[in-house]
Amino acid sequence: MKGFLRRRLLWSSLLLGASIAAVSAFVLWASTMSRAAFLTGWLLFGVMLLLTSYNWFKKIPYLPLGRSEVWLEFHLYAGVFTGVLFLLHVRGRWPTGWFELVLTLLYAVVMISGVLGIIISRGWPKRLTARGGEVPFERIPLIRRQIREQAEALALNSVAESKSATIAEFYTRRLHAFFRSPRNLLSHLVEIRLPLNSLLNDLNDLNRFLNESERKVAAKLVELVRQKDGLDYQLALQLSLRLWLFIHIPVTYSLMLWAIAHIVLVYGFSAGAR
Amino acid sequence: MDTIHFVIDKPQRWDSQFDPEMTEADVKRLMEIRPFSEMDQSKFSKRTPLSGILLNDARIRRFKNGEIIVRAGDYGSSAFLLLSGHARVVLNPGLPDKVLGRRNSKTKSLFQIVAQLWTNPRDQEVRSVEELDDNATLETVSQQKGVFLQDVPRILDEHKTATMSAGEFFGEIAALSRAARTSTIFAVGDETELLEIRWQGLRDLMRFDLHLRQHIDRIYRERTLATHLREIPIFQRLNDEQLKRVIEEAQFGTYGDYDWSGDYKRLAKEGTRSPEKEPVIAQEGDYPNGVVLIRSGFARLSRKFGHGHRTLNYLSAGCEFGLREIAHNWRQRTEAVSFQHSLRVIGYTHVIIVPTVVMEEVVLPSVKPEELPELFTPEELAGTTDSKTQQTLDAGAKIGPELMEFLTENRYFNGTSTMVLDLERCTRCDDCVRACAAANDNNPRFLRHGQINGRIMVANSCMHCADPVCLIGCPTGAIHRGQVGGEVIVNQATCVGCSICATNCPYEAIRMVEIRDKEGAFMVDKEMRPITKATKCGLCSDQIGGPACERACPHGALRRIDMNNLDAFARWLNR
Repeated sequence: MKGFLRRRLLWSSLLLGASIAAVSAFVLWASTMSRAAFLTGWLLFGVMLLLTSYNWFKKIPYLPLGRSEVWLEFHLYAGVFTGVLFLLHVRGRWPTGWFELVLTLLYAVVMISGVLGIIISRGWPKRLTARGGEVPFERIPLIRRQIREQAEALALNSVAESKSATIAEFYTRRLHAFFRSPRNLLSHLVEIRLPLNSLLNDLNDLNRFLNESERKVAAKLVELVRQKDGLDYQLALQLSLRLWLFIHIPVTYSLMLWAIAHIVLVYGFSAGAR
Repeated sequence: MDTIHFVIDKPQRWDSQFDPEMTEADVKRLMEIRPFSEMDQSKFSKRTPLSGILLNDARIRRFKNGEIIVRAGDYGSSAFLLLSGHARVVLNPGLPDKVLGRRNSKTKSLFQIVAQLWTNPRDQEVRSVEELDDNATLETVSQQKGVFLQDVPRILDEHKTATMSAGEFFGEIAALSRAARTSTIFAVGDETELLEIRWQGLRDLMRFDLHLRQHIDRIYRERTLATHLREIPIFQRLNDEQLKRVIEEAQFGTYGDYDWSGDYKRLAKEGTRSPEKEPVIAQEGDYPNGVVLIRSGFARLSRKFGHGHRTLNYLSAGCEFGLREIAHNWRQRTEAVSFQHSLRVIGYTHVIIVPTVVMEEVVLPSVKPEELPELFTPEELAGTTDSKTQQTLDAGAKIGPELMEFLTENRYFNGTSTMVLDLERCTRCDDCVRACAAANDNNPRFLRHGQINGRIMVANSCMHCADPVCLIGCPTGAIHRGQVGGEVIVNQATCVGCSICATNCPYEAIRMVEIRDKEGAFMVDKEMRPITKATKCGLCSDQIGGPACERACPHGALRRIDMNNLDAFARWLNR
């Protein structure tokens, strides 16, 4: 059995075992204990605290706490386990007050962003690798500027060389905005090539108005358009690989603060209640 | 059509003199000293006369009392002739690393590791005073680039040493076979004068002077070959008499370029690397005239495929080639086979060849039949099936032929801890780079960038090479192998910032940096020039738990892999 499959089976078995144990214990205690929600609540909070600590763990990599890969696996499966605990805690009911509604929504955002995060973390690298043209994220603006300068130089020089402004006008009208800044990021995320094809078609249509030397310039511009499009593709995917964490982590901390407030309120208003 | 040509002078053998201060008067003096006075100058070629070798490939060096000439474990590319004065060779056990100016491989305590949270400096490349002066017994003098032993009388009292006097040669085996120096030798008295000959000059002296060649040949056979052969299983059952015969009849071969790293960089830029251009040690289809034992360096094992050659594996020190064919022919005389593969040099390779006749008469009869390599079957020779041996040998089939060619072409086989990234798992989060910086005082020691083949990227990080060319030529031995894992590390206290290691490294994994003090100010010498030091990945040898980069990767996309264990690499790829 291959490594990944073996580990998935192991973690899934642990998750299944923990879920069955939690549900069984809840069913057993719910009939005998009046405060079962306190137990599930504290357990849920404890697991969420462990999940949050993964972010702290990543900031101190020199501590001998094992591989981050194993901690991430724990994070994923324990995250799913919180779903079971959450359902047990709220007894499958939709929240009634605004406070609990916010708490539920925060939990939902954290869970959904986490699931989306792991989906893109597993899928996007394959797409980036298949497309090729690997570029470090920090160098993307620099390379974009270099491509833009090349394209501008081609368009400008073509005026003097061919005594015609056809390419320069086309550049101003159609290509300037494309080379100036990142474009079509959403299209890249969903793998739609329509904007690129449209631009290439326009460049192709332009050929009928060009002489031989201008066509060579146009061919070079086509190559630069493809390079810029590839760069935008890298940017779109690498940016989304980073951005999801900007939702997941701050909302996680909000959730933890809200959960602490929830615990305080519960204890504050439950004195004497049985 | 006009073509623009850039005309440059064709590089010549002696464009770069070993020591520009070497004069004709020095050469004249040397020619009157043994062994040069006894050499027949007419035997030397007109292009490389003896006087030319001495002028261009040698230099006279003077050492002071206690100054280390060569250190055990260092790599050097030159040999020494004692001209006057005395030197002492430290016999086994050698001097402790601390005395030799090496950094002790210290692992940080748990408290020190946790303390990195608040002790890591804000500025980059900060060095503490303790770090730059971690060895009280050392005195490093920048101008002389020398390392001195302190309290020589105590060392002489506590360690066994032997005296060397004028006229004695040493260091020639390490220089020619690219092996580590086996002993430490230091100067005794302030009048010790030595002639240092770089390996190219030594090679030419041996080529044209029979006596020197015989002398070095004899030393090599006496001191090194027996030990080396005893380490190879097939020679382990030989008695002393039989081993002596093997040693006497063994032939040596040095192929390729000792300074291959420079050529490699040039060829890589030109994109003209090709297996067909590599010198051939043994050719597929030729009669197997001997077993080739790789002593140092690397060789490419390949097989004809179409109009080219497909790389099956690369062989490193300790590997053999041709044994199976010779053992087959010895047992099946009527069905003799030729070499089934080709063996080509990658960079530089030093080999020992044990002739077929010696193998058949002495070695093979001493081996138990069940320990002999398996026979070739007709199906295997016809190419319709692969034997178990062939399957084991064919690493290219395990990791894929394209990746195999990629590793070989880029010479990544040299790495014992090569940083490999699986780009289909890597989310480009740079957690590895941040972890590296956190574990190294906020200084990342690698770039998450490098050559790519399919889904594999080999990052620009020190690979801790099996054949560490960066160690060659370090004047103070600051760059050296660690005591535990053999990792290549730089002692910041003795690094003089000469950048020889960075220039030698074919993989551009060593950076020269200007260092700062704890306040963030650049450190300068008395002439107000910035102090530079070599920096590189030290494999987190001071941290508990191994390389931080590997531990920090949340997706298991980064591994430090020993490229001499392609089975482990294949398992990781197919995980």
